[in-house]
Amino acid sequence: MATFVLALSSVRTRRSASATAMFGTVVTLLLTLLVGWGLAKRSTPFEAAYHYFTMSVAFNGPANFQTFGIDLILRADHLTVAALVAIEVCFIGAIAWHQVMGRSEPGAARFHAVLTALLFACVGVLLSRDLAALFGFWAIGGALTYMLLAHRWGLDAAASRSRVALALPFLTDLCLLCGIAWLYARYGTQNLNTLLPILHTNPGWTVRSLVVASVLLFLGVAGRLALWPFTAWITQTTITAPPAASAIAQSAWSVLAIVLLYRVMPIFVASNQQTLQALLAVCAVAAVVAPLLGLIGNEPRRVIALAGSGVAAIAAAVVISGFRNSSTTFAVAGVACVLAMAPARAAAWFAISSIANAMRTDDLADMGDAWRRMRASSTALLASTIVLGLAATGALTFGVTSRSKLGIALGEAALLIALAALRLFVATAFGPLRRRRAFEPDRVREVAPGARSSPYWLALAGAAFLIASLIAGWLNFLDGQKHPAPAVAAVAVWAAAAIIGFAVCALVYARAKDGALRASAVAGAWLGRGVSAIFAVVDRFLVAPTTGIARLLGDWIPEGDGALGRFATASGQLALASARAPALPLLIVLAVVLAVAVALFAPGVAR
Amino acid sequence: MTLLMAIVEATPSPAPVPGAGIFTSPFLLSLLIWIPVIVATAIAFMPNPRGRYEVLIKQIAFFTNLGMMAVLFIAYNQFENFLPTMQYEEKIPWLPGIGVTYHLGVDGPGLLMLMLSGLIGIASVLGSLGVRERVRSYFCLLLLAQASVNGAIVARDMFVLLVFWGASVVPLALLIIGWGGPRRVAAAWRLVGYWGLGTAALAIGVLALYAASGGQSFDMDVLLKASLSPRIQIAISVVMIIAAATRLPLFPFHGWIRDVLSEAPPGVTVVVAGAASRLGAFLLLRTVIGAEPAAGHLLSPLLAALAAMTVGFAGLAALRSVDVRHAASYLAMVPGGITVLGLAAISPLGIAGSVLSMFTGGLAAALIAGVCATLAERAQSRSLLVLSGLAPRMPNVAWLLTIAALALLGVPILSSYTAEVMTFFGAFKNQPIGAFAVAAGLAVSAIALAVLLRRVLLGAPNTDAPGVSDASLGETWFLGLLAGALLWVGLFPGGPKIPGTDVPLFDPGLLNQMSAGISDIASQYAAPTPPAAQ
Repeated sequence: MATFVLALSSVRTRRSASATAMFGTVVTLLLTLLVGWGLAKRSTPFEAAYHYFTMSVAFNGPANFQTFGIDLILRADHLTVAALVAIEVCFIGAIAWHQVMGRSEPGAARFHAVLTALLFACVGVLLSRDLAALFGFWAIGGALTYMLLAHRWGLDAAASRSRVALALPFLTDLCLLCGIAWLYARYGTQNLNTLLPILHTNPGWTVRSLVVASVLLFLGVAGRLALWPFTAWITQTTITAPPAASAIAQSAWSVLAIVLLYRVMPIFVASNQQTLQALLAVCAVAAVVAPLLGLIGNEPRRVIALAGSGVAAIAAAVVISGFRNSSTTFAVAGVACVLAMAPARAAAWFAISSIANAMRTDDLADMGDAWRRMRASSTALLASTIVLGLAATGALTFGVTSRSKLGIALGEAALLIALAALRLFVATAFGPLRRRRAFEPDRVREVAPGARSSPYWLALAGAAFLIASLIAGWLNFLDGQKHPAPAVAAVAVWAAAAIIGFAVCALVYARAKDGALRASAVAGAWLGRGVSAIFAVVDRFLVAPTTGIARLLGDWIPEGDGALGRFATASGQLALASARAPALPLLIVLAVVLAVAVALFAPGVAR
Repeated sequence: MTLLMAIVEATPSPAPVPGAGIFTSPFLLSLLIWIPVIVATAIAFMPNPRGRYEVLIKQIAFFTNLGMMAVLFIAYNQFENFLPTMQYEEKIPWLPGIGVTYHLGVDGPGLLMLMLSGLIGIASVLGSLGVRERVRSYFCLLLLAQASVNGAIVARDMFVLLVFWGASVVPLALLIIGWGGPRRVAAAWRLVGYWGLGTAALAIGVLALYAASGGQSFDMDVLLKASLSPRIQIAISVVMIIAAATRLPLFPFHGWIRDVLSEAPPGVTVVVAGAASRLGAFLLLRTVIGAEPAAGHLLSPLLAALAAMTVGFAGLAALRSVDVRHAASYLAMVPGGITVLGLAAISPLGIAGSVLSMFTGGLAAALIAGVCATLAERAQSRSLLVLSGLAPRMPNVAWLLTIAALALLGVPILSSYTAEVMTFFGAFKNQPIGAFAVAAGLAVSAIALAVLLRRVLLGAPNTDAPGVSDASLGETWFLGLLAGALLWVGLFPGGPKIPGTDVPLFDPGLLNQMSAGISDIASQYAAPTPPAAQ
């Protein structure tokens, strides 16, 4: 927060804004490591509570509902520390990369201020145990993420695309709020420490209420985890948002969302098995569809976003499956998977952005020969895509058996993820780089040294987390429980799924790169047309009629008022005229009118 | 022992609150009503040859409001939040033949509304500093409007409430006719028509209540505590709902809001959107939820439906608007819908959230309407087809508009977050469908706000648009005051404390002060304790 205030109030230049943000992030990382060191000497997590407000609302009724308060209950355990380290590493990499590659971005002070405020929100989400306070930080983070993704204020495309980045996550955030509100309405508490023990003992609990809460919470998490079909808020802003902003948005939110999912899983478990089955099915479908969509279309950053979404879906499935089968034994492997994926995703994002920037194109079909011309960036891209492809290996090894339907689906997803990820490297690194209008291939140079190292270090961090995710000791550290070491055969099976994906990709692109890219371009065009057609149908049959009705009502009501006003005026004028009229003729006219009315309406008079 | 703890322990207990013993008055509430009237009368008779004293008139109006705010602040600090009864009561017989007394008093919700009115009063004067024509008449009418709103808040006699309720229409209508935009006459007539309908409905409700309770007294302590049959409760409640719906407004009685908030000058816009319209929710709280529990239970689905339709319609209509002030007018309906959802929740937490939402919603509605009025003036255009990319050229307005949007959505740090959390948490038990529908409506409003911000602030500047200038100091102050209040209560809902202690610093906390009286109202709706689980 201090860094945010500094960045907003006193820095004036791009360099000082960047340096201030970097300083704040590094200090936060050091403090996190300090907390981690302190935790190493304790068996219990650090806890602290700060009072926000408490209010008495009733004198009678159930005790839980007589007062309401929100407290800032902070809890730092090993999982929190690991997640914070992963996020802070991503932030440091993003700031370092943006220092060099973001020179042309407007509003440096604003960008770095929002970035550091987002880090503050991430820390708040990870530390909070009170769901209302957690949602507060979550919503702040959501608003700041929108401001980051809509950073380029001067561009129409950026402004219009970022609408999705506001609306879609806001909808899922509202589902999260509804889920928390639903739980409070049934249990009278939103503090996880007091809520979880009473899920089945609070008077009046029902399975239905827990199912509804589970679905709502899952929707809230899925939106920020960018599980398909909630990927639009990232894929729509891949080109229009600053690369550092997109990278942070994906990496940080995937860690936050998976940790939240892990923490609220006891609520899901307390509902019923059918709910867990359904959620598993949803995750499995998302895990397969997302990377499949990543194979369609040639926009490289979209591929990374969808591949990462696939990994996140696998991780979510492992977390749910771990709790479903044997209460938290391997669920944390899903979290470890995302901790490995997050830095790798950011690394891949920065590497491909550097290459795309140098080659002045966002189409894989127009890229090539980066291995020769931009060796460092290509190497970083290779490393990060390999880590991305293998990120789910640990989670699958610990959490899923290859002989189950879930295992087959997730294995397929892992293969597709590897295929989609390596596709980026193969398409950009090899093959000719063709001359285009206003583009000379010989002018393509490697990026400045300051921007080369960030993807490397991030990929290295991802690799470190990946290797750790394969070690039982790391899982023991994360959740404080004992996990048996994975079987080598299991590791080999799941790694083989990814390696097969790599091999297929290498083979296809080695033999017919242009053909493959052309096919994906055509498929992408068809997909784009299909999506546009669906949006057009939704717009035509849902949005337009609804807004049309609203507009008609908005016009009809004032017109109705106007008509009423004119009627009142006319009747007043008539009354005035009749008051001025001579009495006798008026009486005669009234008598005639009355007689006619009686004649028409009274029975038996007009025969 | 830390130094701070030593200081705290050295302080005499109980710690004296600011204003304690400095100022007390048996007619504190009357001061809040009649001082503006007296000052308005003085201004009206003040000579002003060739506009020589216009600045003085503005200063008088400003310092009158500032003085009232100071009095309010002292009353706020001296308010005893542990008492469930009315405080600062005044009771003088007025028309004893028909049982009318000049009875004033406030409880927690009333104090909250007074604080809102005080803040809005200062903001409206600051927002009116740009008025150049017939300054004397303008500020005279503005002070009268504020006085009538204050009177309606503190009235404890239904007849007195009716008088002030109806009296608030006249000065506002005259202000719109005299100083409004091109369609000011139509806007003023709409205001008179709808609020007149509401006043008529209120009159019918009051008279029915009077007749049903024996026809002896109009005092709220008699009328609102009378035992009535459920059928009569429902009939009276329906009429009160109509009165409230025309004022707040709620769909479908919202026909006035678009024209009034878009044609009125900024200072009047703030009064209408911020304080005068909140009286509708206040009326619902007092007369339906607080007094007719049987009708409250039965009509709560209707209230929830009205809330959902209001929020949904507001978002959709704002989405389709091509006029920035029209869009703001529709968006100003959103907080009212959330307030009514809290009342429809008929749960203690929902009611408490609704009361807080009256305060925060009033500020948020006034802020969005005020900032869009300022933007339209400064950009010399209201059309969203013309306005574009204004953020770099109007940074103050851009930030204020962003804060207004965040306040409407209930983003944390702003006080509307606390209100919306309490409202939603309280509503999900009894009105889950209504709560879902309002949440969906909020999502639509979020899209509408994103479209509005995108069109107006972001994007490439329109070279064909008229020249723009950023908000002046006065405009920044009046909007900043509203935003600052939202931020202050959002950061310190329970009041700031000396670090490490529970000793309040200088603000006892809005949530603490407003809780007086809420428990009494809400306890009627506390759920019975369910049997223990097997």
